[in-house]
Amino acid sequence: MGPAGPVIYFVGRLDEAANLGDVGTVIPPGHVVLDTSGLTFVNSVGMREWIRLIRILRDRGVITLVRVADVLMAHMNVVREFAQSVRIASFHAAYVCNACGAEATPLIDVMQHGPALAAMQAPRMQCTECRGVMELADFPERYLTIFKA
Amino acid sequence: MVVHPERKAQRALQRLVGATLCPVVVVANADALTTIVDSNTVVIVDLAIAQACPELVQRPAKAWIAVPGEGLGPADPEVITSLLTAGWTHVIAHGMPILAEELLATVQKLVRDDAFGLEKYMAWGAEVRRYQLADARDREAAVDALAKDVVAVGLPDRVGSMVSVIADELIANALYAAPVDADGTHFRRGEPRDQGRPLTGRDQISVRWATDARYLAIEVRDRWGSLDPATVGRRLVAGATPPSGGAEGGMGLPLAYACCNQFVVATAPGRDTEVVALLDVRFKPTDLGRAASFHAFVTTAAVPQEAGDP
Repeated sequence: MGPAGPVIYFVGRLDEAANLGDVGTVIPPGHVVLDTSGLTFVNSVGMREWIRLIRILRDRGVITLVRVADVLMAHMNVVREFAQSVRIASFHAAYVCNACGAEATPLIDVMQHGPALAAMQAPRMQCTECRGVMELADFPERYLTIFKA
Repeated sequence: MVVHPERKAQRALQRLVGATLCPVVVVANADALTTIVDSNTVVIVDLAIAQACPELVQRPAKAWIAVPGEGLGPADPEVITSLLTAGWTHVIAHGMPILAEELLATVQKLVRDDAFGLEKYMAWGAEVRRYQLADARDREAAVDALAKDVVAVGLPDRVGSMVSVIADELIANALYAAPVDADGTHFRRGEPRDQGRPLTGRDQISVRWATDARYLAIEVRDRWGSLDPATVGRRLVAGATPPSGGAEGGMGLPLAYACCNQFVVATAPGRDTEVVALLDVRFKPTDLGRAASFHAFVTTAAVPQEAGDP
């Protein structure tokens, strides 16, 4: 598994009300795991705060992101510096069922699908409603640029 | 004026532009332009030709519009980026049928000098919903209400999520980046965003949205007219990389652009700025161009005001 560390959970909105620079100062030095599956909204100010936090933590040890929220994952693929700064273990992404049209944000395990993700190929998932095949509902670049080999 | 090397594409574009009842001249390459283009000409150029001659946009014309090349299919995102970086202010990323709808609206807006209003992108019959913000702190409530309304009409949560980001960034831009003083200083740029401020007089902004089941359009208008159409395209594709330290990184508009399929800016300098972000809700995202189209209009004509506007 490699480096782990204490797990920090993020819930709710990541916007101007979030002061992650202060959060960074209270996290003990060393490796750290950030779980952002509870985030529901991220704007550009929230992204700046997120970048501040990552810049503080990356000099202290390995940052592992688990269950990265769909809304954060899409933004992280717009900002180029993340690929070198964090290790992503799993993330949520928008999927759509080819058969019934259902939409969902299933969890993608990066260890399990690593080579495909590096080749910008999103794994197919099973629809929880009709058991049909779900595919990524957007361009792979929106979620997978960060894994590009 | 249509400049495109393919005869089939030439015919399609001629029909499209001909629908405006403007005279249309079709040529196959850029060499033929020098003698025919003047400041009243709207020039529609194949993306490959535009990419090979990006300096064309510096020549006087009413507008230069880059459209998809081979087979009029979706454009390569790298080409869109290179043209916006070169200062092109009208770049269409999508193939048919979106190209047809987008090009016709764009040409008519230019010809009629009528640049404002999301209605130009909606089919007749689509209702327009409006939100009025009384205070800067109403932004979050307005964004939440908009996202809920969008999902309530049957659009997927994924679209609701995109709408939240787009509306939040466009409203924040109108509230904090648009206001300028007599020296051109954006005096509210560093203002704390959790601070209340009554939105009266020039600080008023309007937020509207509509969908016709083809597009969902979000429109945000401010009363400052300070967004520079000549540079905003470059900012959108410059990369959303914030600087080190506490300085403003200008990530808001690039994030909004990355979430939509067409980004339209209209400015009446010193008076009004309107940004309309369009999401295509007909097709799977992967059936569209990966990059978004961009259009920037500048007008000196009177901007139509709505009932209730100042």
